[in-house]
Amino acid sequence: MSTQSYQVIGTRPIRHDGVDKVTGRALYGADIQMAGLLHGAILRSPHAHARIRSINTSKAEALAGVKAVVTAADFPPTGDRIVDLGEGETPLSYIRGNILASGKVLYRGHAVAAVAATSPHIAAEAASLIEVEYEPLPCVLTAPEAMRPGAPLLHEDLKTKEFGQQTDRVSNIAEHFRHSLGDLEKGFAEADIVLEREFHTATVHQGYIEPHNATALWNNDGRLLIWCSTQGAFVVRDTTACILDLPVSQVKVTPMEIGGGFGGKIPVYLEPVAALLSKKTGRPVKIVMSRKEVFEGTGPTPGSFIRIKIGAKRDGRFTAAQADLAYEAGAYPGAMVGAGAMTVFAAYDIPNVTIDGYDVVVNKPSTAAYRAPGATNAAFATETVVDEIAEHLGLDPLDLRLKNAAKEGTRRADGLKYRRIGCVEVLEAMKAHPHYRAPLEGANRGRGVAIGYWFNAGLPSSCTISVNADGSVTLVEGSTDIGGTRTSVAMQAAEVLGIPAGSVHPVVVDTDSVGFTAVTGGSRTTFATGWAAYEAAQDVLRQMKERAAKLWGLEPSAVRFEGGHFRASGHEISFAELAARLAETGGPVVGRATVNPRGVGGSFAGCIVDVEVDPETGKTSILRFTSIQDAGRAIHPSYVEGQMQGGSVQGIGWALNEEYFMGPDGEMRNSSLLDYRMPTALDLPMIDTQIVEVPNPGHPFGVRGVGEANIVPPPAAIANAIYRAVGVRMRRLPMSPPNLMQELWKKS
Amino acid sequence: MQAFEYANPATLQEAVAMLGSSWGEADILAGGTDLISLMKDYIHTPKRVVNIKGLKELQGITKTATGLRIGAVVTFDEVAESPLIRSEYPSIVQAVLGVASPQIRNMGTVGGDLCQRNRCWYFRQGFGTLGKDKDGTSLPPIGENRYHAIFPKGDAYFVSASSLGPPLIALGAKVKIAGPSGSREIPVEELFVVPTSNKGREVSLAPNEILTEILIPSARGVRNATYEVRHKQALDWPLATASVALRMKGSTVASAKIVLGHVGPTPVIATEAEALLAGKALTPDLAAEAGKVAVNGAKPLSGNEYKVQLTRVAVKRALMEAMKARA
Repeated sequence: MSTQSYQVIGTRPIRHDGVDKVTGRALYGADIQMAGLLHGAILRSPHAHARIRSINTSKAEALAGVKAVVTAADFPPTGDRIVDLGEGETPLSYIRGNILASGKVLYRGHAVAAVAATSPHIAAEAASLIEVEYEPLPCVLTAPEAMRPGAPLLHEDLKTKEFGQQTDRVSNIAEHFRHSLGDLEKGFAEADIVLEREFHTATVHQGYIEPHNATALWNNDGRLLIWCSTQGAFVVRDTTACILDLPVSQVKVTPMEIGGGFGGKIPVYLEPVAALLSKKTGRPVKIVMSRKEVFEGTGPTPGSFIRIKIGAKRDGRFTAAQADLAYEAGAYPGAMVGAGAMTVFAAYDIPNVTIDGYDVVVNKPSTAAYRAPGATNAAFATETVVDEIAEHLGLDPLDLRLKNAAKEGTRRADGLKYRRIGCVEVLEAMKAHPHYRAPLEGANRGRGVAIGYWFNAGLPSSCTISVNADGSVTLVEGSTDIGGTRTSVAMQAAEVLGIPAGSVHPVVVDTDSVGFTAVTGGSRTTFATGWAAYEAAQDVLRQMKERAAKLWGLEPSAVRFEGGHFRASGHEISFAELAARLAETGGPVVGRATVNPRGVGGSFAGCIVDVEVDPETGKTSILRFTSIQDAGRAIHPSYVEGQMQGGSVQGIGWALNEEYFMGPDGEMRNSSLLDYRMPTALDLPMIDTQIVEVPNPGHPFGVRGVGEANIVPPPAAIANAIYRAVGVRMRRLPMSPPNLMQELWKKS
Repeated sequence: MQAFEYANPATLQEAVAMLGSSWGEADILAGGTDLISLMKDYIHTPKRVVNIKGLKELQGITKTATGLRIGAVVTFDEVAESPLIRSEYPSIVQAVLGVASPQIRNMGTVGGDLCQRNRCWYFRQGFGTLGKDKDGTSLPPIGENRYHAIFPKGDAYFVSASSLGPPLIALGAKVKIAGPSGSREIPVEELFVVPTSNKGREVSLAPNEILTEILIPSARGVRNATYEVRHKQALDWPLATASVALRMKGSTVASAKIVLGHVGPTPVIATEAEALLAGKALTPDLAAEAGKVAVNGAKPLSGNEYKVQLTRVAVKRALMEAMKARA
């Protein structure tokens, strides 16, 4: 740990947006009211897979109060080009097709048409009056089913990409890739023990409290104005512009406060539709999804089928590992299987590895990112097998992990060689934690551990800082605030400027008012936007030194800044005092910066969990839960702890509660929060946290990004704890009472 | 939600007069915890909503000559806090505390608990009370059914959602119902019915009747308890419930009432298990045996076999809980 001392970093100031949030004054997208506002509603497919024969909108249009109806036919012809809107290269037809179906519907809940009316109720009624003639087609709902030769095809033109090459094979497998390291056969031959296991994980939803919403006004000057709930206003701008064939400068997106995203509010669903409706009516149009629409029409995480094989020497050293990962992309290619492959063995230094990944389309909603997307599925499998190896070899599960732990210089099968990482430090902290050594007595109780990894993202961020005459500064940024990022970004500027966090006023602005900034996602905001704030603050200091030099008749190079004061021989002036004298020394000072950082630092997180299983009902209760994570540098420890607790809670939901119940026809049965059974505060234990700090050498303050790795280990740790409690290995998520009862029955 | 007319009557008589002669014309609003979501999802689209929360005749918990009277709009929280109920009816308190969260207990009413619609997701997604598709095919047996009945009756595969039904039946309670031609009293088990049509209801009320009171006989000397097997602690319904009431003679059971909840379209009276206990001293083994007997005749669907096991456990644990309870 660094011995450098900070004034602001590592403290716990009150968040800047706190008062507005707790008093209910914060403005969310659904709060928007404006003169002439119309309300939109979306008609969604009742079929999981069907050809659209015809759409007749005349009855809907005839209903009093209806102002416009749109379908995919209203999109401008933009052809089938390939675009990169921040999530890799994708055919534009896929992005557009998911927003409004054209030709075929590919999942139940797929948007088909939309209505704008004078009230939400009239809009909903009108949507139900749209007559769509469907030709239902057989559907496929799981990866193994969809991969089978002769399976019904979602996209007749989808040709499998294999090992980076385009093939001519038409199938539901969008891509098959392989990462290899060393000699797998030799590695398994050297092993004293080889275990191979298969795992299934369910489709689960991020479950953000605020449903998606968008308001659009196609203004008379031709500019399109959008207000919405998004993790990335610039992604909304660029995607909407692309789909509607507009120059990006014609679209202005204002991100409203966001009630959770977890990756699910990166894709665009409603904005281009509201825009089309606004264009037709000349009035602003607001669309707000219901919870059912959120479940059925937006992107959950991929369900997956995973096969893991690990070989180890008698002393515990891993000699080889193999993984097959088949992830369900949903209706369009893009399951996060690449990320699954990057993380599946990320915690270990293994000389011989092969990882095969399959990106498979199925008739379910098009999946989206969900907190360390792809990694939780993979870690559930790997960490369960590692636990089983520890048991077979009679080793402490943490000692086994430490023996094989990845460290600086370890090369992963996907090619990356680690810089400084905190895998060993997290494992050592787990081992040293009082929880790990605490006695756990009583029948049907068990303790489990697991570790997880997320690589985090860099990407561009922009920031400006204006100095106010009262000694405060206003910080303008383009990052939607999730989890307190206004404050964690402001604190980094405050540290540089030698002022309290409360003297920095952070503002999240629209796409016209700040330079390009990538999404709040990949745990990148405190890292990258924080870095932009650091650089903008340095720019402020440089200009302020010039002003001090001017006051004192010196060269700027003669002025130092230390402890919140500008100093030169015989002179001293505080930041606030100098801020009051800007007008007389040349006018306002505005610092600015854009960054596109490379020094991203991945984060490891581990958890220790004690459970008690009721062997007569299959119900698992969590008795104690500890989350331990490498934050690099914890800018605001409370928000780091909040992320660790939040990720743990979602991980517990994956483990014990959540899944899409799909009928054979692809209809989701539990599409309400009541039936979906996400855990609530009343269902959860207190979650203890311990922050480990192994500073990231790639960031000025050592920040790694902490939003995601914490969700990765809980399902595996809980599975391992259940095994120690009742002796059954759970290889299917969730480990809900019915599923656990099945395994208990098999055992007895 | 569809637009509706809102009525706020001052007397019970006025309220009854505002109800329609067929289902769908008017809905009764008390706590609103079920009705509002039904209306939001267009499952109920009443032309008129009649608020009964303010009716004095429907309020309060009072002692009567033979037991206790609970007004229909008394909230779960009032029940849980009532010394009159806590002292004699642990099975009711346990059932009420199972209704979580606290916010729901503050709003939800006992009358609403008995009259709430079922939670079958086919019903909630617009396939009617019995969950049938356009061709009249029952969807639960051929689709996702892990929370459905293990004691289906006829075409009814949903489970009664009521938390208070099982303990009230076990305790021999009655409900009072007001209609246009006066009021009537029926045993609680007669309130629950198996609907025979896809538009039918789960209770034997007429569209223009209001459940006004619950009348519970004294439970002095009756050991009673409710045990719910739950997946979640909050904002969820039990997977299986058993409520028991044991009239004791010394250390042996003189007579037992055992009622199962959330396993059939109405609460299920486990008569075989009741008979098993009569005249015997209750031991853990006998309680387990009663659990086994209680599920005789269960007909689980493709995905809910586990509920049979949960029901056995619920019966066993409710009986053991009752033996701990004050007589």
